[in-house]
Amino acid sequence: MFFCICTQEIRKAGESEIKVSTKSSTVDLVTKTDERVEKIIINSLKQEFGDNTYSFIGEESVANGKPCILTDKPTWIIDPVDGTTNFVHGFPFVAVSIAFAVKKQLEFGVVYSCLEDKMYKARRGKGAFCNDELIQVSDVKDIHKSIIISEHGTDRNPEKVTKIFSTMQKILRIPVHGLRGSGTAATNMCLVACGAVEAFFEIGIHCWDIAAGAVIVTEAGGILLDVDGGPFDLMSRRMVSANNNVIAERIIREIEIFPVERDDTNVSKNQT
Amino acid sequence: MTDIWQSAMDHAVALARKAGQVVRDAVGDAQKEAVMVKSSSIDLVTQTDQKVEKLIIQSVKEKFPTHCFIGEESVAAGEVCVLTDSPTWIIDPIDGTTNFVHTFPFVAISIGFSVNKQVEFGVVYSCLQDQMYTARRGKGAFCNGRPLRVSHEKDIRQAIIATEFGSNRDPGVVDKVFSSLKRVVSIPVHGVRGAGSAAINMCLVASGCVEAYYEIGIHVWDIAAGSLIVSEAGGVLMDVDGGLLDLMSRRVLAANNQSVAEHLAKEIDAFRVRRDDAAS
Repeated sequence: MFFCICTQEIRKAGESEIKVSTKSSTVDLVTKTDERVEKIIINSLKQEFGDNTYSFIGEESVANGKPCILTDKPTWIIDPVDGTTNFVHGFPFVAVSIAFAVKKQLEFGVVYSCLEDKMYKARRGKGAFCNDELIQVSDVKDIHKSIIISEHGTDRNPEKVTKIFSTMQKILRIPVHGLRGSGTAATNMCLVACGAVEAFFEIGIHCWDIAAGAVIVTEAGGILLDVDGGPFDLMSRRMVSANNNVIAERIIREIEIFPVERDDTNVSKNQT
Repeated sequence: MTDIWQSAMDHAVALARKAGQVVRDAVGDAQKEAVMVKSSSIDLVTQTDQKVEKLIIQSVKEKFPTHCFIGEESVAAGEVCVLTDSPTWIIDPIDGTTNFVHTFPFVAISIGFSVNKQVEFGVVYSCLQDQMYTARRGKGAFCNGRPLRVSHEKDIRQAIIATEFGSNRDPGVVDKVFSSLKRVVSIPVHGVRGAGSAAINMCLVASGCVEAYYEIGIHVWDIAAGSLIVSEAGGVLMDVDGGLLDLMSRRVLAANNQSVAEHLAKEIDAFRVRRDDAAS
């Protein structure tokens, strides 16, 4: 139900001029709609399930100083508008992303690509769906026949930009069929899940961008890894999602890794 | 006053819609369809590309027997690619064949029509999104009947730029493509995107979703229709070096206004490629 309200908010805001602020850099955008949509979701969930039952990790709440810690407590992980840059420009990929974790394990994920009216969802162990139709990752095993998604992100630090571009260039020259990017991590993961692309990787995303997509990809038959080939770590701000290990490992060989601060960097060692 | 090309344009729209249905019917099986290659291992073509182009050309020949054609697959099969003063249909039956093979959501049929080397109307049908973009010279640009207008943005640092890596994997070319891209990203712009289809990228400029699109390596059939849609939506067209757009040069820069276009042109390494109308 609140997806309808969220979509209305997003569409309504898109019709008039959007006041844009910035966060960590001049290209890391946020709008009142991001903040309003996040409040709608959190308030609605608190009303439905009570104030103290659940924890929340929301992009705009964290930006306003709330801690970003994943505990064993049932936790909603929310990106109210994934693809804010797209939203500001009217570029057709804007998503609301909501995931739910218990004991640090992701239980379900929902990504609503609201301008396309595509509802992606997945429940652990029960498959992944787009508008109620089962979706599956691609069965391509040959990297030369793959489309890979990568994004430039919002960090314009020259050293990072150099590594990002070097990685993209190496992948392009494998050669792959193509490189793409929708401008939203949640949507990119759904594109892996429905087989439109073979893999998506990025360094610099946040847990709220990928938590829901992580469930959708794995339930669609795909895999998740860290960019160094190790296990996926939701708070690490790095990720490779792919249709299978063969493609993932081939991509990982080319990725030039640079350091990013983890989402849970300020967590006290005493907290669980 | 009657528009002498109105019936041709109506026919183009109807054909694009029909072709779109053929593409939609085929897209689920696209990965099973035999995928062939043209100029390189990633320059893909399928039987659907060829089927759609035949459908369009045959239908147009019946109705307009004196008209000429420049079609992507006909040229690939050896037809001449020369733009004369004759009324000419410039056809890309599937722009975004790689997307089609993968079921990535941007696949378009592009039909441009020129007389005396001037584009008179353009039709781009983004068939998986069911978005029909049209423009008639002097009469505006539309998407599904809604008028289109380019973005108002004048500051390139608030812009999204669309571009593509293309299908040339020659290391020297890839280096230049990336060098330009890095300079553009570092302006900094808000972001760089790519739909995987030149025709759709141009429609994104016309719709105001992105401020500009540039590419080296496209063909006349990729941009003929889109060029009119951009200019009728209030945008500008030029060569990537800031000079006049030359439809046969295989280079294009389409933008919402002169200011963004000129700033962008400064960052692009404007290397040359073999023209569409080069003698074989």
